Amino acid sequence: MNRRLHFCLTLYRRLASAYPHEFRMLYGEDLDRLGEDAVPEVWRRHGLRGLLRLLADIAVQLPVMYLREIRQDVTYALRVLAKSPGFTSVAILSLAVGIGMCCTVLSEIQPLVGPPPGVRDPARLVTFWWSTASYPYFERYRDEHQVVAAATAVLGPVPFAVAFAGDRSARAERFYGQLVSPEYFSTLGVTPAAGRFFSPETEKPGMPPVVVVSDRFWRTRLAADPYAVGRRLRLNGLMATIVGIGPKGFQGIWPGYTADLFVPATCDASVAPELTGDPLNRYDREIFRVVLRLAPGVTMPIAEATINTITRNLDREYGVPSGRDGKGRMLRLMPAGTFLYITPEQHAFVNAFNVVLWALVLSLVCVNLANLLLARGSQRRREIAIRLSVGASRPRLIRQFLTESVLLSFAGGVAGIVLAYGITRVMSSLPVPSPSPLEFNCQLDFRVLALTLAIALAAGVGFGLMPALSSARVDIGPTLKDGSQAPLRGYRRFGSRNLFVVCQMAVSLMLLVVTWFVAAGFLNTTRLDVGFETGNLILMSLDPARDGYSAERTSALVAALPDEVSRVDGVRSMTLAGSVPFASLTSDRANTRVASQTGDGSGGQVLHSAFRDFIGANYFATLGIPLLAGREFDGRDQWQDEPGPQAAVPAILNQTAARELFGGENPIGGRIREDERAYTVVGLTRDVPSGFLVTRPIATVFLPLTTEWFRKNPAARATILLRATTTRSTLASVRNRLASLHPDLTVFDVRTMREDLDRLNSFVEWQAAIYITLGMFALLLACLGLGGVTVYAVARRRKEIGIRMALGARSRQVQALVLKEGTALLMAGSVLGLGGAFAIAHAFAAFSDTLARTFAMRPNNPALVFSAPLVLAGLATLACYLPARRATEIDPMAALREE
Amino acid sequence: MTQKDPGGFLPLHNNWFHILLSLVGTEQHGYGIMQEVLERTSGAVRIWPATLYGTLQRLITDGLIEESDERPVAELDDARRRYYRLTRLGRKVLDLECRRLQEMIRMVQRKRRQEAY
Repeated sequence: MNRRLHFCLTLYRRLASAYPHEFRMLYGEDLDRLGEDAVPEVWRRHGLRGLLRLLADIAVQLPVMYLREIRQDVTYALRVLAKSPGFTSVAILSLAVGIGMCCTVLSEIQPLVGPPPGVRDPARLVTFWWSTASYPYFERYRDEHQVVAAATAVLGPVPFAVAFAGDRSARAERFYGQLVSPEYFSTLGVTPAAGRFFSPETEKPGMPPVVVVSDRFWRTRLAADPYAVGRRLRLNGLMATIVGIGPKGFQGIWPGYTADLFVPATCDASVAPELTGDPLNRYDREIFRVVLRLAPGVTMPIAEATINTITRNLDREYGVPSGRDGKGRMLRLMPAGTFLYITPEQHAFVNAFNVVLWALVLSLVCVNLANLLLARGSQRRREIAIRLSVGASRPRLIRQFLTESVLLSFAGGVAGIVLAYGITRVMSSLPVPSPSPLEFNCQLDFRVLALTLAIALAAGVGFGLMPALSSARVDIGPTLKDGSQAPLRGYRRFGSRNLFVVCQMAVSLMLLVVTWFVAAGFLNTTRLDVGFETGNLILMSLDPARDGYSAERTSALVAALPDEVSRVDGVRSMTLAGSVPFASLTSDRANTRVASQTGDGSGGQVLHSAFRDFIGANYFATLGIPLLAGREFDGRDQWQDEPGPQAAVPAILNQTAARELFGGENPIGGRIREDERAYTVVGLTRDVPSGFLVTRPIATVFLPLTTEWFRKNPAARATILLRATTTRSTLASVRNRLASLHPDLTVFDVRTMREDLDRLNSFVEWQAAIYITLGMFALLLACLGLGGVTVYAVARRRKEIGIRMALGARSRQVQALVLKEGTALLMAGSVLGLGGAFAIAHAFAAFSDTLARTFAMRPNNPALVFSAPLVLAGLATLACYLPARRATEIDPMAALREE
Repeated sequence: MTQKDPGGFLPLHNNWFHILLSLVGTEQHGYGIMQEVLERTSGAVRIWPATLYGTLQRLITDGLIEESDERPVAELDDARRRYYRLTRLGRKVLDLECRRLQEMIRMVQRKRRQEAY
């Protein structure tokens, strides 16, 4: 045979030997023999081309054979899984719920901690923590090019009354937008989908009004008009030209407060009343949120130091008081584009907490899967032995197991994705309690999804491999004889399965306790006593400036309203307020600094953080909050002309403010100062919880809602609070009355206080429900794991139990025998889990208000601490007891005869 | 076990048809089938070894052929070779396929005659 033929035959044999084991068992020799015959014959007839064709054929058929085997494996695996619906559904369900929950936990937090979609390199964007700045200050920050690559000032969310037709009589709709400095889009790194964005060159004071609309606005309100750029909209009564359309998904820098309209802050105040009083040139109008893009290589602490230096210099320059200690203002930076005001530490905490939760759930799912697959592997040893004995190769058996676990993981993964998608959809559709247009746009984070899926798949494959490897090493003879009761080679009494169950119990308990603590915290919130009667309390909002009212007309309107509304049938009392109590989860926050003033005029106790609220006459009477001392505001306080700087305006304090400002003394008649303004305390009211998730009462100073206030805040909206005898008919009467008296006034956000609170409750309850579901899931998996192990133990000891019963053992003794093992695992898992849970909860309580509150209740509330472990222990014992009881039903004769 | 419908196999794959045809009235081993097909088609159709055994495996799985227990006389036998023969189902399938092909040829001929007019 010549060398070519010899080489060809060698290659042929090599390729033939790579064919699947089972194929080779049947046709291997034939194939070899055929090659020996065919090679010289093909050479003779077709030459080199023929030999190449022969080799190509065997090479091409090789993967085909393997694919055919894989198809057989998949079909077989599907049949096997369909034959054990219990096992299959539990495995798929636990994976699905695990993956769904994991993805939701991490995806849910994304809209809260940002970054917003559509922004370039968001990690370098920072903003001030709980602080706004004036435009002149912003310009100085922006020009600090060594630290700041770019900067923008944003005011918003700002409502706009938008009419799509040019006609003045056209009905306006309310949309929210932002007033932005011209550098807004370039700082965020956003490019227009059509038209142009703003720039310092094009947007100058005095230019005709222009607006950039979001992609969503363009699609839903402009019907995706390809010629939208250049069209004109009526904004707050003035015509503005659309100059650009934002990219898809971009809704502004704050993810929760989605903006559809972007108007340059350089526009005229008639377009946006917020810009009344020339805020672009006033250092004392600190109304803008500043977003800085840090220069490359600049860290947040470096930027913070530089910004503080600039701020202190500017404060000195403008003569701004530098605080009591004289050290000057200290501004803190935080990542921009987050839903909440959170410090970098809190940001890290929120991320860490959710990652820990995610890891706990995922490890629980993996451990459960491991347990299920191991238990199943041990039950199938007889089947494996039979397949081995009839010629199946061990790699093929391992592949068969792998196929089954991959199929399980895949099905669980798909179901998990569907579940996660469903949960995020529901979360997004929930109304978020907030006075401004808040959207909780919870979208599935595909990176999280991919990672979760990858881990679940890896766990499925890994744990599928373990029983496959151990089963494939099985001794065929004894296994065929003893079936699934034959011990595994290398099996120890405390094997990997028991270890997994202990881990599973521990992780389940950790998850259960942590989620129970969080859920208990949330549920406590919903049971919070708001401190006043909420029945028949109606709220309705007015925004006269955006209805075209001048400051004078607004003052006149607000002066006339109490009288007009009070005359309506069914109205028991009525008041006006600048803000609504319980309008959002954390509505009230310190927004001013107040100091008490001693008799000689010098400053007394300085209260740094106080909440200043503007309220109308009869506010407390309408809400039903009794005054502890003094009186509340009446018409005289409300509609007085602007007092001189030294004239004392009346103020009402809550208990916390009175205690902090005046110690134990009677505050009535006392004087307090806020910057240069002096107030006389005329009333004292009790503390009312200031927000849903705010645990401590906040020192609150109530000031009268005067005509002066409306003149100074033309963009402010006011809320009418009225106590009615019957809600529906009174509401209709009031609306009719307002419509007849003020036809051009839009009344919006009409709701009852109860509805407002229900909205908050449902949001909080949903949050609690998610955590409770997570906890329940942990509980279910723990019980399944322990139950599975006990069932396995009973099956393994069937013969032993049969002998014991044949020798006269009683049912109780047999039950105790089975329960002993399960209880030991339960105890070990509980001790580990409880320790871990408290460590985690304690670590996180330092950062989380909700968790801390629950944690603080711990010493007085043993039920809180022990309920979760007891429920777990109870259910787990039941999971052990059921197979233990079944063990007593074993017929000794049948068990022995099986051998 | 449910009886397979012979019509369900039609139209037969080219290789299947040639293998079944080469087993009509005789039992053959793989190389024999390959040679028979080659000779019958005057070298126009060659079923290469790996394709041949892949197809034989499918035909056995589908029940169209089976392995034969009968071996030739000792001096002609090669212990490494397996012999195959048609099953009843395989025979039916082949008959149906032949009938189908004949019908197609008749159709073509009718069409040609119409064309000639």
